[in-house]
Amino acid sequence: MPTSSNATRGARLALLGVLVLTPALVLTQGSAQFRERRVVVTPPGPWTGARLPDGQPDVEGFWSNTIGNHNNLTDPQGRGAADDGPPREGPARPRRAQAGPQEKAPSRISDPADGEVPFQPWARARAQEFAAHLNDPTRPEYVEPFARCAPGGPTKSFMWHGYEIRQYPGYVVFLFDSGNRVIHLDGKPAPPETIKEWNGESRGRWDGNTLVVHVTNHNAKARLGRSGEFVSADAAVEERFVFDPAGERFTYHATYTDPSVLTRPFTITIPNKRVTVDTPVDDWNNQTFHANFPTPRAAGEPPLLEAYERICVEGNEGHGNPAAAPQP
Amino acid sequence: MNTLGRPALLAAVVLAVSGATLAAQRTGDPATLPRTADGRPDLSGIWQALSGPEFDIEAHGPRKDTPPGLGIVEGGAIPYTPQGLARRQRNFAARATADPRNKCFTLGVLRGTYSGEPFQIFQRPRDLTLLYQFGHPARTIHTNGTRHPDGHIDFWLGDSRAGWEDDTLVVDVNDFNGETWLDRAGNHASDQLHVVERWRLLDANTLEYRATLDDPAVYTRPWSLSVLLHRRREPNAQVLENYCYTLDYDRYYPVPPASTSVAPDGSGAEKAPRRTAARRSR
Repeated sequence: MPTSSNATRGARLALLGVLVLTPALVLTQGSAQFRERRVVVTPPGPWTGARLPDGQPDVEGFWSNTIGNHNNLTDPQGRGAADDGPPREGPARPRRAQAGPQEKAPSRISDPADGEVPFQPWARARAQEFAAHLNDPTRPEYVEPFARCAPGGPTKSFMWHGYEIRQYPGYVVFLFDSGNRVIHLDGKPAPPETIKEWNGESRGRWDGNTLVVHVTNHNAKARLGRSGEFVSADAAVEERFVFDPAGERFTYHATYTDPSVLTRPFTITIPNKRVTVDTPVDDWNNQTFHANFPTPRAAGEPPLLEAYERICVEGNEGHGNPAAAPQP
Repeated sequence: MNTLGRPALLAAVVLAVSGATLAAQRTGDPATLPRTADGRPDLSGIWQALSGPEFDIEAHGPRKDTPPGLGIVEGGAIPYTPQGLARRQRNFAARATADPRNKCFTLGVLRGTYSGEPFQIFQRPRDLTLLYQFGHPARTIHTNGTRHPDGHIDFWLGDSRAGWEDDTLVVDVNDFNGETWLDRAGNHASDQLHVVERWRLLDANTLEYRATLDDPAVYTRPWSLSVLLHRRREPNAQVLENYCYTLDYDRYYPVPPASTSVAPDGSGAEKAPRRTAARRSR
């Protein structure tokens, strides 16, 4: 991306009051036009952007996280134990050990300040055990559930491929690469806690530019990263989706409170950016294609984006037999 | 007019109005249907079939694994080719293990609609989203004038492009992968299947679903099925997660206990799955 374009974007974001918490380089090649190394945080405030007929802020469309994937919760660009992550960010990308500190995105743990999950000692040991065996899964529980097509859970779903938001009176619906999720705004109480779900039950409300969601009924089976972090099914989860009224970005915050596993609550922060017709299709952040209109669209009217269906487990081949598995 | 005449007349009028109202509800009087802001019938809500077509869409007597049912195939029987019928008979014999539903695979456009588990319709002017409880996949029915993508794509849920004919949503569906069944009895179609669906509200709480299936590889002629879907009206009704395919392995993922990790099972390493559904096959 040309420098002038970066400058334009920077000026626009500054005008919007978007805070850049951690100065770092913005990559400038290939898929890096979308992917970034800095955490851009949208501040909470009033919603001044477009609204849907039911009054909700209009945040519909395709989105994706901008940094890394789910390989490593606290080192978003780190490979963690696995190495099947997003496309390499340009041929000249330095290895981790060679990357300067200014290029390193911070931990997704924005609180506490040390960027680590405040585990009780036994729980940290369990997380480390999982990470140590990720590529040596000598027990079934070491196979990361995502690898079996399980939904990613309320937070890890935002560290994976791009996804879509659709809105309706009473609902915000997330269509993820693995699994889907309905945020109820309709006041319907959550089901009894005897019902546990991978993505849990979500009850939300809009507060200015922020969608505030309480997640209950989650089964806590989806780890928070391939790095093994976890909470229990009793953890209270509050999410805050803070949307930039210009519609370009939002910041996801999830605060986990779980006295059975943690010494204190912690918050995960994940920056997200809108996928547009100008976003390079990389089969990672952007998995969309242009809708097939019967006639060319009118001048100035952008193509309409659609996504292929995302159905995972049924397409498995060679599962459990890697040597025979065709390459994707 | 005598004094007896007025009540009698009133009663007659009331009867006439009530009868008219009932008839309107049965026949989809446009004035009684819920509508969206753009004036289309509002199909949003949670729907479920009650007539049991999941077991066998053709009329059938009781079997040990199947209650008797009248079926939903118009005309009674599916017009299979000899090869199509033979495949159906093989499917039926092996249904306990061969039924994709028993592998927790996506049920498909037709079976997902009348499987007996609820699904939710979310409606916007540009599309409808159907979120099925079983397997929890989402299907999009586009109503924005777009056409099917070029070429054939193997989709579990096909590709759906629709328009409104008066108050009926008419959906053209192709790009099937041929892997789904139509019921537990092994009725089936190939990837050449072409479906035209007609969705019509009969009243606020009853949705008529009619589908015409054409598949020269399996049927001698197009045929139709029709089923009524009923709105789930319990105050707490909602679609729950049913990621059925996780049930075989979720026992391996207890929240890690403080004492020891779970006992070793001994089964070996597995690799991240191949993801195929989103890719064009031809």
